[in-house]
This record gives sequence, C-alpha cells and structure tokens, in this order.
Amino acid sequence: MEASALIALITALAVGLAAGFFMHRSDFCLAGAFRDLFLFRDGRRLRALMLLVTASAVLFELARVMGALPSYPFPWFAPPAATNLIGGCLFGIGMVLAGGCVVGVLYKMGGGSLPAVVAFLGLLAGSALYAEIHPAWSQIAKASAWHDRAVTLPQLTGVAPGWWAAGLAIAGGWLCWRWWRQGLWRGPVQQAEGYLPLWLTALVLAGLGLLSVLGTGMPMGVTTSYAKFAAFIEKIIAPGHVAELTYFTAQPIRYTLPYGGPQLAGGGGPVLDVVALIQFPLIAGIILGALISALRLGEFRPRWRMPGRQVLMIFTGGVIMALGSRMTPGCNVWHLMGGVPLLTIQSLLFLAGLLPGAWLGGRLLLRLTTS
Amino acid sequence: MTIETLELDIRGQVCPSCLLLTLREVNNHHVALSEGRAILTVLVDSRDATSTIPAAVKNMGLAAQLDKIEDYYRVVIARPEERP
Repeated sequence: MEASALIALITALAVGLAAGFFMHRSDFCLAGAFRDLFLFRDGRRLRALMLLVTASAVLFELARVMGALPSYPFPWFAPPAATNLIGGCLFGIGMVLAGGCVVGVLYKMGGGSLPAVVAFLGLLAGSALYAEIHPAWSQIAKASAWHDRAVTLPQLTGVAPGWWAAGLAIAGGWLCWRWWRQGLWRGPVQQAEGYLPLWLTALVLAGLGLLSVLGTGMPMGVTTSYAKFAAFIEKIIAPGHVAELTYFTAQPIRYTLPYGGPQLAGGGGPVLDVVALIQFPLIAGIILGALISALRLGEFRPRWRMPGRQVLMIFTGGVIMALGSRMTPGCNVWHLMGGVPLLTIQSLLFLAGLLPGAWLGGRLLLRLTTS
Repeated sequence: MTIETLELDIRGQVCPSCLLLTLREVNNHHVALSEGRAILTVLVDSRDATSTIPAAVKNMGLAAQLDKIEDYYRVVIARPEERP
C-alpha cells in the first residue's frame, strides 16, 4: 500500500475511534439536535452544533491561510442544485424517524442499540433503492442546477473566504458567549456515568474534522459507503442486476490523496476503491470507539424490545434518510461539519431543506409514538 | 396513605420515544404523582433519556432521581417532597 493511502487509512480510523467514543459519551446526536428543538423546545444539542460549525470555520480558515488545506473547497462538493434542498428535506424526515443520522446510527450501534441496527438496515435498503432511480434522478439534478461554477458563497460573491469566515466566527462566537453567560452550556444536574459535556465533544469533533481534512483531504463523510455495503449484499443475491445498474458500476470519482500517489477512482459500487479506503476505516472507527466507551461503562447490552410499529418506523426512516443522502448528495455530517463551515452553497441548501424535514419528521414521530 | 409504585420499562426503545412514553405515563398519573399517592419508576438504557426525562418532569412540577443499575438506568419520578 502507498504511504499516502496508509496515512489516509490510519487518519480515518483514528478520527472515527475518537469521534465514536466522544459522541457516545455525550450522546452527540445530530438528528436529536434538530428534532429536540422542534419537539421539546430543547436547544442543547443545536447550540453544540453551532459551536462545532463556528470552531470548524475558524480551524479550516486558519489551515487554508497557512497553506495546509490539501484543496479548497473540499473535494466532491459541486455547484448547487435544487436537488440539494429536496434531499436535505427527505434526510431530515428520515433521520428523525430513524432515531439518528447516518453517523448517529453508527455510534449508537457501537453502544449496543438494536434500534440503530434496524436504522442501519433501512439505510442499506434505501441506498439500494436509490441505485434503481439514479439515472432519472441525475437528469433532474442536472436540469435543476442553478449555477455551473460557484461552489461556495465566497466564490459566488467574489468576497474573500477570510471575510466570510471572520463573519461566521464573530456571529457564532458571540452567540456561544451569550449562551455561556446565560449558563446554557452547563450539563444536566444528574448525569449518566462517564458523561462528557456537549461543548467538549463539539470542540473535539471540530479538531477531528480538521485532522480528517489534513490526513485524507476531506471532511468526515460516510454515506457513499452505505451504498457500497448495499451493493456488496445485492451482488451476492442478484449479481446480474447489480451489473446493470449505472450507480453501482460507474466510478465517477477521481481523487489524489493529499500526500501524493496515483489518481484513484471511486464510486458507489461493490468495489474496494478510494471511497472504501477513506470511509470504511472511519465507519469501523466510529462503531469501535462507541463500543469501547460502552464496554468501559458496562453499558453494552443489546435489547430487542421495540414494538412492531416502532421497528417499521425506524426502518422506514432509514430508507428515507438513505434516499435523501443519495439524492442530495451527502449527509448531515458531510454538509454541516464540512460544507457549512466553508459556506458551500450545496450544504446551505441541504440545511435549508433539513430544517423543515426535521420538523415534519417530528410531527410524524409524535403521531406514530403516542397514538 | 399507601403509595402506589408504577413501573415503566422502556429499555431497548428508540429516542425520543423513551421521553414521549414517559411523558404520556406521567400525564396519565399526574394527579396521583403530584399528590404523593404514586411514584413512577422508569427503566431506560438510552443515555439521552437520563438527562431529558429528569429535565422534562422537573418542568411538570415533579422531581426525578437517577441511578445506574448494572447496565441500565432507573429514574424514579415523584413529587419533590417524596424524592427518594
């Protein structure tokens, strides 16, 4: 294996391990951040997300100014399209019904949650379903693209990224400072064993995001791998059909790792390519990090006690979330922790769709849980 | 006066159903809980619920005590005077 590939693999694994551990300890659920605001007027996690975005914007900009960013903007971000908005909305509905986002499902699985396993299976099913509609959806995405060059707001406006980052840092920093003055960063009075405050995990995740960019060239992201897992399984059951699906056979990604080496190809198909090189260790790390945390606390105890209706809701949520992530494309972690700090227009549209989606998901959840 | 002990076992369930089901149970028995005629014991294994349930019932004028029992948590909900 090339040294650059080894660096990327080890970085992704280390980032995943730390992220999984901290997210489990704080229950840093990004689906909960939006859901709880709408359902319970509880903004604890959303405030932590705001801190994470602000800290990430500062770190990414400092790295860019110092010439440490392998690329700007990050690879795989494209000019915006209306499909970013639609995908974000579906993703928001799905993540609330599934009880966690694509990364939340991973750390919860590592912590021993069987509902998260159901959501994971739903994500695989949804990813396989997307492969069936990919050709048609690609046409819609092309037709709805509203700019052919600008990827970020700085590029669109011609205003230097530093000014945007400074504005984000001042606005976000001011809000975080106000919340600190109001005592809103204090953790719960009674805490689960080993609890780590949300603000601490937010700052750790911002640091891990930068580490991921320095080692692999891109922020944390996992969703293409869900499609790959689905493709690996489907290939066993129906190899002929998989071979006919464009989404599973195409290798549209061309990527050179930050520390050199040949240009690598990647895609959503059942192949060990550059996507697998970066995302598989990250996924394994998140699950393992959470597993270590749960085992150390003596809390790893899977229990199958969900009512049938809940199983159906979680699975359907996983399917909808996977469809949303492929249609956008990207997930909330990719967009909120990687794209929004750089003011990527795709990510801002995804966020604009995610908000009403999470609200709608909350209404559905309320009806399904309490009726 | 006999204090009725109610139990809600929601281990293994997804978030935030744990909180929603607890709130429904609290609402169903709110008079008995607030008059000290009942105590509600909730068994959960969701780390999230260990912070959301006590905060929510506090807003409803009740108190909650959190304890770890082996690999799960027990939240005892009662009126503030009965707090165990």
